[in-house]
Amino acid sequence: MLNIQNLERRWLKYKIKFYAPYILGVIALLTLLIVVTYSKKSDTDKIQALLASPSTSTHQTASTVLEPSMDFVRSFQTTLPINEPPKAPLQKNAQPVREPLPIPKLVATPPPDSSDEKSFSLNRTESKLDIGTLERRFKETSNANLGLFIARYHYDHGNYSEAYNFALKTNSISNKIEESWIIFAKSLVKLGREEQAKKTLQFYITDSNSEAARALLDTIERGTFK
Amino acid sequence: MEHSLFSKPRDLFLDVVNPKDYVQIDSISHIYQSLKSSVQKPLKMILLFGRPGTGKSMLLHKLHHDLSKHQKVFMFDIPIVDEDDFLRVLAERIFAYSSHEMITLTRFLEIAKAAAYSDTPIVLLDEAQLYSSSLMEKIRLISDARVIKFVITLHKTDKEEIIAKEHFQTRIWESIELQNATAEELKIYIQKKLLKANCFDVANMFNDKNIKLVASLTKGNFRETNKLLFSLFSLYCWYEENNPALIQYNALKSKWIEMAAIHTGLIHA
Repeated sequence: MLNIQNLERRWLKYKIKFYAPYILGVIALLTLLIVVTYSKKSDTDKIQALLASPSTSTHQTASTVLEPSMDFVRSFQTTLPINEPPKAPLQKNAQPVREPLPIPKLVATPPPDSSDEKSFSLNRTESKLDIGTLERRFKETSNANLGLFIARYHYDHGNYSEAYNFALKTNSISNKIEESWIIFAKSLVKLGREEQAKKTLQFYITDSNSEAARALLDTIERGTFK
Repeated sequence: MEHSLFSKPRDLFLDVVNPKDYVQIDSISHIYQSLKSSVQKPLKMILLFGRPGTGKSMLLHKLHHDLSKHQKVFMFDIPIVDEDDFLRVLAERIFAYSSHEMITLTRFLEIAKAAAYSDTPIVLLDEAQLYSSSLMEKIRLISDARVIKFVITLHKTDKEEIIAKEHFQTRIWESIELQNATAEELKIYIQKKLLKANCFDVANMFNDKNIKLVASLTKGNFRETNKLLFSLFSLYCWYEENNPALIQYNALKSKWIEMAAIHTGLIHA
């Protein structure tokens, strides 16, 4: 006599037993996959973290435009002796000129600049903090290369009055840094003081015979400067 | 339950050896013809061997059924394991020699020669692996004397193969091996059996998937197939009576085939 209930129960037991190795296999495979994926990911993260540890700042500076500070340190070390006589060479150089340039004055940060800062602070709070640190360091060290870096930074960020100020300060520390003069002149143009920019460039060209300065003057005179 | 669609198919697969239920399958049919022609040859002994459930007994019964119409053929499907009884029973049945005394081999050979049959009588011995070694030796001597032709069936196991080698190797003139059925042969076997009994509806329920499952469970063993299908149709009878809604008439349920296999011990659950 058939005991159907018992047979049904035994059949279910048999099916569970039959599929158990497959189910366990699939679970084991999935677990293995998860473990492998996780360990791979964590390894990648570690590698990335290791790789990023020196370059994190690089990455941040890329966004905060702090990367060039490394160049600055190098240049700083090489050009340190030049910086020893501040201000005086500029005045001495300015004296031989028959038609002396009007002595550039530090531009008081105009209201439009503050609006720039607003947008700046919105987008790059960390960058602003960093550049602030650099500016403080510049005040302490009066390093021309640091001044050039800050001037370039501000010019690149459209903060032309700040670029002008720092380029001027840099020039006063060292009048032999071509790029600083270029940034100074370009900032003048951006600030609408084109004539002063031309005169500054002409003065610098006669003193240094700089090709870059001549090219810039040419573009300003032709009105192709952007 | 008596009028169940599945009761007739169930009874078809009762594991009873009946030559009338013999189902002709190509490979077995070929073997059977070979066996029949071997029997006609002046051979001393024919060995039919194969694993249990490959159809040896059925072939032997079929042979007996077919040959007995025009030849002296004696079937011993239940082994006579006692040596004294064996010779006495043989003498009585074949040569009509009745005696309550013990018959020695020499005496048996004398009785056989005295009978002087024109055609050597044929004795079919099923399950010969159950005979003792000494009795086997006597059978060998009788066949050597050409007073009886023996057709013997043996299970093919390691031990039994040794027996076959030891006692019959030099004396067997013909040995025929039966193999387990393939899935295709099993399909033919099942369907022919069902169709022969006019169980067309049930025959149509077997699809290839069902047959493959049955073949894998029984490994092509006819006896196990019979047992499995008997259990399966018993299950169908139960469901037909108790829960007919569960029955699908277009195919057999694999679950129920497996349940039947559990019931018959083919699946250990």
